[in-house]
Amino acid sequence: MSESGSNGVKDRTTGQFRCLYCFTRVKPPRGAETFTCENCGYAWRIWWFSPTEPRIRGPVWDQHEKLSREKMKKQGD
Amino acid sequence: MALSRKIAYINLTTGEIRTETISKELRKQYIGGRGLDIYLLYRNTEKGVDPLGPGNAAIVSAGLLTGTLASASARTHVAAKSPLTGYVGSANIGGFFGPEMRLAGFDHLVITGKAEKPVYLYLTNDSIEIRPAEHLWGTDTRTVQQMIVDELGDDDVKTLCIGRAGENLVKYACIRTSIKNSAGRTGIGAVWGSKNLKAVAAKGTLDIKLHDPLMALEYNRKIIDQVTSAKVSKTMQKLGTPFIWGVTNSTGLVRTRNFQSNQLSDADDIEPESIEEDIVGTAGCFGCQVHCRGKYVIREGKYKGIYDEGPEYTSLGAFGAEVGCRSKTTVLTGNHLVNYYGLDNLETGSMMAWAMELFEKGILTREDTGGMDLTWGNDEAVIELIHKIANREGIGDILADAPLEAARRIGKDSLRYLVHVKGMSNLHSDERPTPALALNVAVSSRGSDHLRGRPAIDLYHLPEPFLRKVYSNPIPYDGPLTSDYRDYEGKPWQVLWQEHCYEAVDCLGICKYHTVFLGPNMPCFQEWPELIRVNTGLSFTPEEIWEVAERGYTLERLFNIREGLTRSEDTLSDRYFDEPVPEGLPVVRGRCIDREKFRLMLDEYYRLRGWDENGVPTPEKLKELGLDTI
Repeated sequence: MSESGSNGVKDRTTGQFRCLYCFTRVKPPRGAETFTCENCGYAWRIWWFSPTEPRIRGPVWDQHEKLSREKMKKQGD
Repeated sequence: MALSRKIAYINLTTGEIRTETISKELRKQYIGGRGLDIYLLYRNTEKGVDPLGPGNAAIVSAGLLTGTLASASARTHVAAKSPLTGYVGSANIGGFFGPEMRLAGFDHLVITGKAEKPVYLYLTNDSIEIRPAEHLWGTDTRTVQQMIVDELGDDDVKTLCIGRAGENLVKYACIRTSIKNSAGRTGIGAVWGSKNLKAVAAKGTLDIKLHDPLMALEYNRKIIDQVTSAKVSKTMQKLGTPFIWGVTNSTGLVRTRNFQSNQLSDADDIEPESIEEDIVGTAGCFGCQVHCRGKYVIREGKYKGIYDEGPEYTSLGAFGAEVGCRSKTTVLTGNHLVNYYGLDNLETGSMMAWAMELFEKGILTREDTGGMDLTWGNDEAVIELIHKIANREGIGDILADAPLEAARRIGKDSLRYLVHVKGMSNLHSDERPTPALALNVAVSSRGSDHLRGRPAIDLYHLPEPFLRKVYSNPIPYDGPLTSDYRDYEGKPWQVLWQEHCYEAVDCLGICKYHTVFLGPNMPCFQEWPELIRVNTGLSFTPEEIWEVAERGYTLERLFNIREGLTRSEDTLSDRYFDEPVPEGLPVVRGRCIDREKFRLMLDEYYRLRGWDENGVPTPEKLKELGLDTI
């Protein structure tokens, strides 16, 4: 494993981001514009600030609202 | 030497100017910048002083490392008693002015009195001149800087200034330098306006001799590597501070429509990635390699073709989410106008959002607004309202006052909808699901604030052992810590730790983005002693820097107590407690702050600080910090 800088932070997370709902680290295919978290099902729009480094741009709105309502309903049950 | 700079006392009523050196003892106690500012403010103002009267002191300070080889050592700190809150007025600004002030021979200016006519100060090589500024009065922040450069015939002159908002005593007018650098909060621009002080210009050629230049270069290379290799810096290089929007709006932590909601859906046009399409380059402050400031040209609308810089994250909130606007053009235009007039974008956006909710509730009518339709998302009204506030026209005259004052003038039920702490509006983020961030805004010394103690890394879900490593340095901490940002456990310590971290960088004159603010692996207490030593020769341990920060923060508390602060103001607006957030991910949806748990957090925070149950520092704590005789 290589180092990304002298601060000792390893580049083990390169190419990944954390799902904002379940905090699982996910690795989307390079260049993907959206990605659905395999753990919780939330879909995210992605922006690549370098060819290998993605970040969450925002939710896929329609999917999010629907899923959130379902999950909240389940919690209520 | 880097330490040979002076304090200058300037009385604008009499024209008297005197200088004094800064003792090593004072340096050891307060370091410089914000730390020495509060010391000077406390000693040079009387209890109950009118913030806009001649007795208030307007202070300008460089940090200890400002202008040295330390990375991002660009910062200047300004202070006064705040006309916005009546408590500590304190704000920090980047750009190039601070280093130039040091090259001109000065570290601190204490400006009192009131000039009979508009003036500006010119600092150069150990001298200070009070120059007429009647011809500069009425100019915007960009024009006045160019006029001073032209007048002095030197392109290298750097200037701090106010715009028309400061001249018109808008209570949240700010101090500006360059195109967009801003000492935004607490209304120091109005204090300058009240003194007829339009600007402070500086040009110096005195060397800042470093203690060990070669080691300073070498050590700084390590710091730069540490900063630029962090993911957060790489993202900021592309998107600036708006990069935060991706996390906050996606989760449901953005304050929208004056706190009625916590997410702005389908607002893709104001996402930073969309704004980035209009960015034509980036700019940085003195000694910074990150360059987080975007350069842009407005591409549409009435202001098409105008060049400006930014926007910061706060402008996305102020002219986007808060006022329900989804237009990039509105965000970029609003950002331009607050730069132009010298207004705090955050307070401006909050006051407009409040007015819009009052309009929605029928508390303000078209009759009150001069016919303006203050419906959420009315882009034109938002732009028009900024002009009216800066020029104190119509409804803008009321909104230009401090929030509590404006609520008194409007009356009816308007106070109920005002979201503030100590009379200062909140950042455009929603802290109802995040107790640590809520406590931070409640206890901050300058009123609701994210730059005085926000534990932003609390949102990152970092493993507890890692958090412990960060928050147990330099002072051991074995209390609770949790990765869950919705929890109440351990949060008081995180807030206190961040308060000391931010106080320390403000004393040193280093940018907050180069410490543990948005990135957990950034330089901090362990790196600073060597940074200080190689640049200045002064010797500090991490624990001593911590103590300086604690001393400064405690003195800010003493100042506020002197001006009437009590525990009852270390709190949040009722909406935090009574109205759960309606949107966002299920992890935040439905959450708000529990009153009892908040009370316990506040008790714990006071206890950790060595303050009594009323939030007053104990005699033992004051003695320990050497503040018992101040």
